[in-house]
Amino acid sequence: MRRFWALALKELRQIRRDRRLTISLIVPPTLQILLFGFALDSDVRNLRLGVVDESRTAESRELVAVLTQNPTFRLAGSYATADALADDLGLGRLDVGVVVPYDFARLRARGRPATVQVLLNAANANTAQIAQGYVEGAVTFLNRDLTGARAAPVELRPALLYNPGLVNAWFIVTGVFGTLIILNGSLVSAATMIREKERGTVEQLLMTPASALEIITAKMVPLFLLLMTMVGLVIVVGRVVFGVPFRGSPALLLAACACCVLTGIGLGTFISTLARSANQTQLISFFVNPPLAMLSGGLTPIEAMPKWVQPLTLLNPIAHFASVARSVLVKGAGLDVVYPNLLALVALASVLVAFSAWRFRRQLG
Amino acid sequence: MRRILAQARKELTQLVRDRLALALALVLPVGLTALMGTSVSLTVTDIPIVVQDFDQTPLSRRYADAFRTSLTYRVVTLPAATSPETMLARGQVRAALIIPPRFEHGLRRGWPVEAQLLVDATDGNTAQLIRGSGGQITRTFARGIAGAPAPPIRTATRLWFNPGRDPQKFYGPGFLVLGLSIFPTVLAALAMSREGEQKTILQVYVSSISAHEFLLGKILAGMVIGFVQCVLLAALMFTLFGLRFAGDPSPLVVGSVLFVFCVVSFGSLVGAAIPNQAAAVQAVALGGFLLAFLLSGLIFPIENIPDALRWISSLVQARYYVLIVRDAFLQGGGWPAVWWAVLAIGAIGLVFYALAWRVMRRMQVKA
Repeated sequence: MRRFWALALKELRQIRRDRRLTISLIVPPTLQILLFGFALDSDVRNLRLGVVDESRTAESRELVAVLTQNPTFRLAGSYATADALADDLGLGRLDVGVVVPYDFARLRARGRPATVQVLLNAANANTAQIAQGYVEGAVTFLNRDLTGARAAPVELRPALLYNPGLVNAWFIVTGVFGTLIILNGSLVSAATMIREKERGTVEQLLMTPASALEIITAKMVPLFLLLMTMVGLVIVVGRVVFGVPFRGSPALLLAACACCVLTGIGLGTFISTLARSANQTQLISFFVNPPLAMLSGGLTPIEAMPKWVQPLTLLNPIAHFASVARSVLVKGAGLDVVYPNLLALVALASVLVAFSAWRFRRQLG
Repeated sequence: MRRILAQARKELTQLVRDRLALALALVLPVGLTALMGTSVSLTVTDIPIVVQDFDQTPLSRRYADAFRTSLTYRVVTLPAATSPETMLARGQVRAALIIPPRFEHGLRRGWPVEAQLLVDATDGNTAQLIRGSGGQITRTFARGIAGAPAPPIRTATRLWFNPGRDPQKFYGPGFLVLGLSIFPTVLAALAMSREGEQKTILQVYVSSISAHEFLLGKILAGMVIGFVQCVLLAALMFTLFGLRFAGDPSPLVVGSVLFVFCVVSFGSLVGAAIPNQAAAVQAVALGGFLLAFLLSGLIFPIENIPDALRWISSLVQARYYVLIVRDAFLQGGGWPAVWWAVLAIGAIGLVFYALAWRVMRRMQVKA
């Protein structure tokens, strides 16, 4: 035990002296969570709407007014002909076009249905789908007003649970959280693990009476403490800047964070055993990290991935962590709900730490 | 000119000798773009939904079947003694449809009937999709009921450029841009910082080559690799993503030349400024990957970025290239639509080149 403390103290001092390492644990994660939280917003609003009003009546103007009332659409121009509108849609100056036919008011006066043409730039499938929902919703709303009663015999009343304001940042911040832990954790631990190898100080470690296991644990424990501090920082930023709710048990979240940090350390140690120099660890992480982050469901829903990719996310610690973070923070779920993901995290953490420790030990020998 | 070519030849020879780097340069961009382009999407299909039917009549079952037949949903049976709220809380379903008692009774008598849809809004975008498509299904169902009044206004929606609303056709070209933002940049930065790290830069300094010639030679070699990657990725668009040129491809060709020049110049600038390979790769990860990923409208619209951050995106070359690539493959607007984006990429490229030259120009070891 005394040997372990001596080694851990040595690591702690080494980390403290390395100001770049401390900075790299504070500045990049904070910047990243701010950037991701502010820049990634899938909300559909301010779509540019072009109108061809062949009818030019009070009725047709009412329709346009109803469409531009909500923040989804912004009137970007009125066109004389449908061709002119189509040209601008093709040039990317418009997102949505609405063509009101010349007999719009007349048909309505006679009590016959009038059809309005809606042209959508569907290049972005997601935006198109949501925009289509809005247009049809607005028209249904207008129909109800016109007939004086409900136009449809059945109506669906949606109730949005957990995040009724549809704040997108809650989804992104809880998703990026795990990505930050794993990516920064693996980068920092790969850097500290490779240092001994690069400088050739492994020899000195071998000369000490400490066993290989003690050396590894002494290396991992200070890293773990340091990374948990970073976790606290990220939680504070998410809470203060983005107003992410904290509805569940803090202990549960911290347990998941601890597992995630350990997984990151394991990954970093593993990468450091593959590489010969700090350059190589950087390069390897550069190729491991983007797919790990993108295929995690942190930024885009896992359900939207192809069927053959979805099972792969079961091996991704970020995916499990995102699930726990969202359940605990946003939904206020307890252990009875998140235990499968938590168990998976524990399993991934122990496998990775054990495997990388074994490889690291073999290197020492 | 001869010296530029010689420098470029030396760079290419060096790369060809390094089998691992060559494989990384050619195989990895294709693999990564294919994987991410097919996997990343916001459009969820097969959303698990649970139906709680308090009515249990033919009409209520027909309403539930309308959800069952939709491709958007996968109806999960409600286990005994479980409430839909519990399933939502456990994340087993994303939405719950609750059909009230006397649903058919009310409908037959022409009374207003409401069904409830509980939506898990943790993911706001998916929640919006569920809300929109639930409304659509309900409207269609209502229209099918005898005696329903015809709505006075109807919409006929036409989807342009991507009628099947295939998300891959949108994200595939986006990840082509991301691939081209990362790999040529990393290779250029490594090639440049290696000279600084291994001090071979001294040999360059003592030779008769000028800073312009040295830089242009490096950039030329980087551009050759960038083109090969560009062609490989374009082939991927044609095969895996099933895209075709929608219009005049010449803006894409010119834009690609300028974009590759731009990212290789950026890589060379980073490599020249930071004579340490590990640090240079980190800088590229920030400038090439993170900025291109976050601020180019790759997945999420640029218009949604707050004003305080959005101006940065006008300095990100990938933002303009995304427009050009999507226009070439989807909209087909051609030069009138994207001429300004091509110019912007060229301008940013020149700035990067000028900066790289400023770093290199003295051809002297820093004191």
